[in-house]
Amino acid sequence: MLVVNDLYAGYGMSEVLMGTSLAVKRGTVVALIGPNGAGKTTTMRTISGGINPTRGEILLDGKPVQGLEPSQIARLGLAHAPEGRKVFGPLSVEDNLLLGAFTRLPHFFGFQAKAAGDLDKIYELFPRLKERRRQTSGTLSGGEQQMLAIGRALMARPKVVLLDEPSMGLAPVIVDEVFDIIRRLKGSGITLLLVEQSAKRALEVADYAYVMERGRIAVEGVPQELQKNERVIAAYLGN
Amino acid sequence: MNQAVIQLMVSGALMGLVYALVAYGFQLTYATSKSINFGQGELVMLSAFFSLTLTNLGLPYYLMIPGGLLFGVVAGLFVERAGVRLALEQKSEGWILMTIILGLFGVSAAENIWGRDDRPFPTPIPTEPMQFFDISITPLEISVAIGVVMIMVIIELFKRKTLLGKAFEAVSADRDAAELMGISATRTIMLSYGLSGLVAALAGILVSPITTVGPTMASALVLKAFSVAVVAGLESGFGVVIVGLFLGSLESLTSFYVGSGWREAPGLVLLILALAVRPTGIFGKAVIRKV
Ligand SMILES: Nc1ncnc2c1ncn2[C@@H]1O[C@H](COP(=O)(O)OP(=O)(O)OP(=O)(O)O)[C@@H](O)[C@H]1O
Ligand SMILES: [Mg+2]
Repeated sequence: MLVVNDLYAGYGMSEVLMGTSLAVKRGTVVALIGPNGAGKTTTMRTISGGINPTRGEILLDGKPVQGLEPSQIARLGLAHAPEGRKVFGPLSVEDNLLLGAFTRLPHFFGFQAKAAGDLDKIYELFPRLKERRRQTSGTLSGGEQQMLAIGRALMARPKVVLLDEPSMGLAPVIVDEVFDIIRRLKGSGITLLLVEQSAKRALEVADYAYVMERGRIAVEGVPQELQKNERVIAAYLGN
Repeated sequence: MNQAVIQLMVSGALMGLVYALVAYGFQLTYATSKSINFGQGELVMLSAFFSLTLTNLGLPYYLMIPGGLLFGVVAGLFVERAGVRLALEQKSEGWILMTIILGLFGVSAAENIWGRDDRPFPTPIPTEPMQFFDISITPLEISVAIGVVMIMVIIELFKRKTLLGKAFEAVSADRDAAELMGISATRTIMLSYGLSGLVAALAGILVSPITTVGPTMASALVLKAFSVAVVAGLESGFGVVIVGLFLGSLESLTSFYVGSGWREAPGLVLLILALAVRPTGIFGKAVIRKV
């Protein structure tokens, strides 16, 4: 569903990705782990169009999307819940969710009615968002903002979801909640690329995983293998 | 208050609504792009001249208005494309100088095409004063008030009640995240410049029958619109109306009691005061520092 081939990208003069390749099959959860600064976020931003790759290819459902604008790639079915959540702070929770479905909804009238079913599903997944639907999203707690970022991405009914460090800065109980949600989404057949600091948790939920180091994939495999790989244990699953 | 004072305030307040409308044009583009068209006053003037030409060509009033508004939209889009887009993409503040230059260019264009003289702007709306509680108001003045309030209510409803309007706010809050939702920031910014051009044109069409049309109307209007925008801030449509009404009345009182030569003073004083009290300006730091 999502294929990245030999990707090179960076910021101005500094190359960050140097030949990254990975693939996410339909209906699978794939984890991308690695140390700080390895280029995980850069990979996601390049896939969703925020950075133009200097070389390589990105296929979304078979179509090359490298070089397109982020909004065009979003319209082709990619949803990216970015690092740091990036909710629209001045807007209400519900407006954030509605904007998540911007590509599918009428832009003037009748969008609320058309989105009602999707909103119900999101609120079922995140009851706390329903309680706070009218609240300004900038005033939500970190955990709630993360839920909102995930819900907003799902509203697009995307083919592929990119989720960058959903556990960043959250208390352990909230992290558990977030991973429960990811597990439920996996059960419902989501196609997900997940970047996580917490390698242990990511490997528990993933079908397949990549370990990124300095802009390249260093190790890959199914979680059961990686959990036994000594290099991975030493670097990411220690103690 | 005696009745003469009230009379002066009412007529002044009507002019103030026009300042508010021009200031509202700043808000519209600021909302999506944190940029404004410093040539907004010239846009008002050019649209007014264009509408006058349509009238002189024999177009009836109700057809001239959409024609003039369309001119404003196209001119607004042109400003965005020619003066703003590249600068924003490169995250530079080049749009400030570019929109000023486009404005200056607009003035010379107007002088060459239409001449330097002020010209009357005919209108079918009656100008004989009517009496309300001993205050005399002309139907023309009422039409200005209705026009300003109507367009602002329509645009505010658009911004709050439609998904595209909410997308405006999303682009303003986080341009990159909005793009990830499939919202094209470029198109949203274009649209906001088009709308801003539309309100500029409407301001020109509404005010010209009262003030006449001339190349100098631009600088007079834009200075006051600036005062209003700086005092009211660039976020609140309601704010510019209130400040506009206040400045308009103050101007009219000043020009009557102090002397008509002092007419421009309240706007300037207000601007200086606002900037002195909040040195960074309500415009955000970058803009004020560079100008
Ligand atoms: N906007 C930027 N401009 C320049 N360099 C950047 C920018 N963002 C990231 N980098 C650099 O690119 C490299 C990779 O960063 P990236 O954010 O992709 O890492 P990451 O794997 O997501 O790390 P983390 O786990 O800390 O989120 C780092 O060396 C970083 O300093
Ligand atoms: Mg990162």
